[in-house]
Amino acid sequence: MWFFILAELAVFGLLIVAFSVTESLHAEAFRASRALLDTSTGLTLTLSLLTSGFFAALAVTQVKQQQSRQAALLLLAAVGSALFYVVIKFREYNHLAYAGLDIEYDTFFTLYWILTGFHFLHVLLGLVILGFMAMRAWRGAYTPAHCRNLESGVLYWHMVDLVWVMLFPLVYVLN
Amino acid sequence: MASHASVSRKTLVVSWVALVLLSVITVMAGQFDHRLLPGVIVLLAGLAKAWLIVDHFMELRQAHQGWRLAMLGWPVVMALAIGLAFFWRLGAG
Repeated sequence: MWFFILAELAVFGLLIVAFSVTESLHAEAFRASRALLDTSTGLTLTLSLLTSGFFAALAVTQVKQQQSRQAALLLLAAVGSALFYVVIKFREYNHLAYAGLDIEYDTFFTLYWILTGFHFLHVLLGLVILGFMAMRAWRGAYTPAHCRNLESGVLYWHMVDLVWVMLFPLVYVLN
Repeated sequence: MASHASVSRKTLVVSWVALVLLSVITVMAGQFDHRLLPGVIVLLAGLAKAWLIVDHFMELRQAHQGWRLAMLGWPVVMALAIGLAFFWRLGAG
């Protein structure tokens, strides 16, 4: 799992560096396009992802205290918070596409769609993993001695959080 | 994440509250009418959030230091790349 996460971070890292370098070359255009994004939406997305990660981390502590059912409920809460992210992000995508700010609009939005879209796919995969782990936890599949798969799944979810923590200021805030 | 140790619930709650506050500070700092300060605050807040996630959510504080350094190194490199581009733009502007 660690090597997979490092590989993922390397890919996101290249995209973030590409975004930053391109912004240096088209500073005015990026500033104008970034102003078209809603920062409060970005903040809402951030809080929903961080809250989901918080619930997932709590779930691991519950398994280690042999509270498998509580862990399942916490994982479901993590799924719920992540679903909120998906709904808000989908609405933002829909709004931007309707306004004509699609992937071909300009360089900023080309990189915006690629970067956030790639991250969005990771969120969707994380949702499936969290849901699967919630089901397994409810059935008592994880114990303090046998929770490595749970830890790996939650670790992946924190990686998705970690990437967003750097994406959020780059895409929404640093104008 | 080390299966033998577990971060306390209190630590996780405090970390989550700090993450929320740092996110709000990030947005507020982005609206400052100043050339240099917003970039510095936003990037430092991002690094603090990354540290909270790595050390407490990922439970890497007492785990293998190599992985911890790798996980903490990634946001540092990203912040440097974003910061250099940001401050280069300020200099060019």
